[in-house]
Parts: sequence; structure tokens; C-alpha cells
Amino acid sequence: MSDSLVSVLTALADDELILGHRHSEWTGFAPHIEEDVAFSSIAQDEIGHAAAYYSIIASVTGGNVDRLAFGREPSEYRNAILCERDNDDWAYSLARHWLYDHADAIRLEGLEGTAHDQLRALVNKMRREERYHLIHADAWMKRVAHGPIEGRTKLIDAITNAYDDATALFEPFELEEDAIKQGWVVVPSDELRRRFVDRIAGILDELGIPMHFHKRADTSAEFVASSSGDLIASDGQNGQVEPAHDGFGGRRGRRSPEFGALWDDMTSMYRAHPGASW
Amino acid sequence: MFRRSGHKEPFEHAGAVIASDPEMALLMAKECFFRRREGDHLWVVARSDIHSLSDETLLEIAADKSYRFASDYRDVIEKRERALARAREIKGE
Repeated sequence: MSDSLVSVLTALADDELILGHRHSEWTGFAPHIEEDVAFSSIAQDEIGHAAAYYSIIASVTGGNVDRLAFGREPSEYRNAILCERDNDDWAYSLARHWLYDHADAIRLEGLEGTAHDQLRALVNKMRREERYHLIHADAWMKRVAHGPIEGRTKLIDAITNAYDDATALFEPFELEEDAIKQGWVVVPSDELRRRFVDRIAGILDELGIPMHFHKRADTSAEFVASSSGDLIASDGQNGQVEPAHDGFGGRRGRRSPEFGALWDDMTSMYRAHPGASW
Repeated sequence: MFRRSGHKEPFEHAGAVIASDPEMALLMAKECFFRRREGDHLWVVARSDIHSLSDETLLEIAADKSYRFASDYRDVIEKRERALARAREIKGE
């Protein structure tokens, strides 16, 4: 009965850990010193949330938090592939940060009614920190979207690159049906993905950003005109269609080529000193 | 960036950030200067909105203005006692 709980928590924790690690790669390199501090702080928050999820897993299974974070083989991670993509440039990292934090807000809102007491308490605590992440991401998006053409163009390309991967944050968890039956998860991933797609399309429309999803969108998706006349993706007729693209599969342990170098780097200290306590 | 360390404390200048506009400055200041519960409130003011005195020598006090300082009145009670004593002496009391 706890298998499905561990499955869900592992996916959530791995998302936060892997994205937190990618964010942290900007430390010392962000566009300016203030943002360097702000983005590093967001990275720390995400890794802190991962630690909190892992400690629930550890309390259920009797495992060890450090081992869960750093002692697994690449194929044992269950993060969405979006989280492990290389940073590329600031536009991509910003687009990913923005997409991820809106997805996370939707996800946490959905988890508020979970039957697991410890998880429910954690969700409420995390939502307070995630509020700042959203304000930060939205503030950046607004400025770059309304700024000079070069930044705007880079941002549009970055959203195009990250969008499909972001919808895969709502690829169903392993054992999701059981997790719903047990009450660990309240809202099915397919429904959350529909909410996410709606929310993102709405904000992009407000920002006046055209969507060029057709580059990598799945064939089942159709395009509808937004109020600004731009084309936006709709998630199929009933939103149940799971788009098949290379950003999917993360929840089943499929890893992209980018993951290897990240894993090497992230776990090197842990592997160099087996059994050390930190 | 002006920070208030507690509900009844004054806002004090505590740092500076470079930002495109006030909202961004607030976001950056929050992360750069409030990471360890340093305060409970925050203002940001554009440097261009701060007006400073062009000539600092205007603040110097040229002549003796010691009468403007409370410390100058420290012995006023003693002086009063001396004056009263002298008055009694003159009146031959």
C-alpha cells in the first residue's frame, strides 16, 4: 500500500532535486549579481524541498535521505526530463523556471487534499516558498516579453523548446491508480496537465507571446486562435491524449543523454566518500 | 534599499541593488538582504529620487552654539542655587 506513495514522492523529490541542481549551475554566472543570489536561493529552496520529500520516503521505507538523493543509478530516478535538460542560455533557464513553477503550483494545489498527513503539512509549507518563485518567474517573463526584440525572440524560442517537456511533468506517476485509490493523490495527472495547459496558454496570451508549438508538438494536438490572433496549442479534444514526444518517459525512468553528466557531477562527492555522514 | 529591523524601528539604509524597476528591485532586495530574518519590512527608492545637499560644509557650525546643546545646561541647578544664595546675601537675610 505504501509502494504507490513512494512512487509519487520519488517523482516529486527527483523533480525538485534535479531542477535545483540545474538552477545551481547558474551560481556565479547569472546575468547580474542580484539575480545570482536570487536564483541560487531558489535552487536551494528546490533542493530543500527534495530533501523534505526524501525524508518522508525514508520514514516510510526506513531508507536514508542521502542515499535516496545521491546513491541511486541514473535509471532509478523518476524526474520529468524537463528538469534535467542542459541550461543552454538564460532564456531557456528562465522559460523552464517559469513553466516548472506554474506546474508545481498546480501540482501542490492538487496535493492539498492528500490523505497523507506528513505530505499535507509539507505541501502547505512549500506553497509559501513557491509563491516567491512564481512572483520572481512572472516578473522576469513580463520584462523580457515586453523588452527588446532580441531577448523576446530568445524567450519565445526557449518556451517553444521547453513547453512539450513541461507538459510531461504531468505524465502519470507509476502506480498512480493505486495512489489515487489510497488517497495519496487526489487529482489525476491528466486533469492537472489540462489545468496547466490552460493556465500557460492564458498567461502567454496576456503577455502577447505567440506560440510556435508546432515545431515539436504531437500530431494529436490541435491549434486554436487566441484572442490576440496567435495560435495556441490545445491539448486534444478532451485533453486525455498523452502527447508522445522525447520529453516523456521520465516518470518511467527514461533518461535523456543530458542526464549522465548531471548525475556524474551531482553524485561525485557522495560516490567518492561512501558511507560518510554529512 | 531601506530595511526595518522590527515593528517599532525606523527604516534604515542597508544596501543597494541594481534593477530595472521598483518591483524587480524589491524582489532582488528580498533575496539579497532578507535571507536570515534581518527585518520585517522593506523599501526601495530609486537613487535618482534621492536629493542630496550640494555643499556639505553648510552642515558645519561656525560660531559657538553651545547653548543649543542640552549638555550646556548640565550645571543649571547649581547655578540657580548660587544665584539664590547671592540674592539672600545682598538682601542681608
